[in-house]
Amino acid sequence: MSQKINLKLKVWRQKNTSSSGNFETYKVTTDTDASFLEMLDVVNEELIVSGKEPIAFDHDCREGICGMCGAVVNGQPHGPQRKTTLCQLHMRKFKDGDSIVLEPFRARAMPVVKDLVVDRSAFDRVVQAGGYVSVKTGGVPDANAIAISKENSDLAMDAAQCIGCSACVAACPNASAMLFVSAKVSHLALLPQGQPERHSRAKQMVMQMDKEGFGNCSNEYECEAACPKGISVSNIARMNRDYLKAGLS
Amino acid sequence: MFKIHRLLSERSRSVTVSGLALILFLIFHLSGNLLIYKGPEAFNAYAHFLESLGTIKYIARIGLIGLFLTHMFFTVLVVKENIKARGKRYDVSKPVGKRSLATRLMPMSGTFILVYLIVHLLDYTLADHHTVASVMNGENLGLYGLVLNSFQTPWRVIFYVLAMGAIGMHLVHAIQSVCQTFGFNHPVYSKHIKRASVFIGVLIAVGFASIPLFINVVASCSTAASCAL
Ligand code: HEM
Ligand code: FES
Repeated sequence: MSQKINLKLKVWRQKNTSSSGNFETYKVTTDTDASFLEMLDVVNEELIVSGKEPIAFDHDCREGICGMCGAVVNGQPHGPQRKTTLCQLHMRKFKDGDSIVLEPFRARAMPVVKDLVVDRSAFDRVVQAGGYVSVKTGGVPDANAIAISKENSDLAMDAAQCIGCSACVAACPNASAMLFVSAKVSHLALLPQGQPERHSRAKQMVMQMDKEGFGNCSNEYECEAACPKGISVSNIARMNRDYLKAGLS
Repeated sequence: MFKIHRLLSERSRSVTVSGLALILFLIFHLSGNLLIYKGPEAFNAYAHFLESLGTIKYIARIGLIGLFLTHMFFTVLVVKENIKARGKRYDVSKPVGKRSLATRLMPMSGTFILVYLIVHLLDYTLADHHTVASVMNGENLGLYGLVLNSFQTPWRVIFYVLAMGAIGMHLVHAIQSVCQTFGFNHPVYSKHIKRASVFIGVLIAVGFASIPLFINVVASCSTAASCAL
């Protein structure tokens, strides 16, 4: 049964990348059936009516598949519900009278653009650094012509679940991007099509990741716990192996 | 070709490799120390054997110092980078996963081990092994006597046992961490590796800590004459 609850929000407001930013508090009455982003929509409508600047936050699909949304809710990326993006978090997870602190994902490599919006183009540059995949040109190949084991296909698809939301970076005590990069490295490394450039790709992507200024992994495994898609840290181990092999060859 | 910037770009792995080598040293050191339970002849013979290695011993010592310095230097570098990588800190931060106490306390246990190491080297390695401090029941028992006499002081026993606790904690996180960093992660074996990590960490800590405790509690010198294992 839906019901109305009153909440106190403490939200990070920052005009642009170069301004310093500060917390503002807001009161909101929301329906428990509303999603977290719908609750923010309500706050924003009230802000607009009273002539104030609405809270900027990223979103697109609002069904947990695009990876655009995300903020740190009471110290946890995407909030208190595991394997759930912020857009799929619902207000029934909160109680009447709760206080919610909302902060952007924080990493030097992903600067705040405005309020809760961060610039994740560092992720794009890491993926670009991976380069191309060699393919045969010529006629259209038969579907299913390339054999792949069920296990590897499943693991590759698990890795490909990554939506690039950057909650892993936000959750990591060191602001490391290892989980994201390893998911991208793994989903090609596990497929036959990814073999020709397998090791050099891992190396190039790791080097770009370091260049972007992400932190160093110390195997805290917070990333895996915070990932809305449940990407496993076994991908990080796979990337470490491929990276080592690239160094040895 | 060896390039210094290549090593610097392997900051994180340098911590892992030097740490792994230090764990191997600890196992070697523990096996030597446990000879104390066999009595003065066995333990002193072991000390003399190390002494007799001459140049090799000095090379090993320099290597060991190098390992400690590498481990600490790169740890400081990596931690500084990690703090910088976060930038502005969170106002509220609540762990999502199952970070153990050992994982959270890595910087604290590491720093404690460093303090301990300095005290420890002053206690035995840099001390003269044949002064009155080694005399037990009127007999000079060399390094063996020095160790037994020194652990009659309760604060030293407490300090050593706490330090071994820190080493145990450090290893509980470190051993499984080394495996992950070298790319070993397996749906079945990783669980066992985590358990083995706890087991080995506790085993090494208990092994080391048993020595001062045993000397002080079980073989306590109420009189000079009773002061022997
Ligand atoms: C309660 C536990 C321990 C006892 C009773 C103990 C005892 C000793 C003794 C008697 C020596 C001197 C050996 C000699 O001079 O030939 C020594 C040296 C040393 N110990 Fe320990 N030790 C303990 C734990 C540790 C731990 C945990 C570490 C590492 C973090 C450590 C690091 C060292 C080092 C680096 C040396 C110098 C080795 C050398 O001279 O080449 N010790 N220890
Ligand atoms: S808005 Fe697309 S995942 Fe949340």
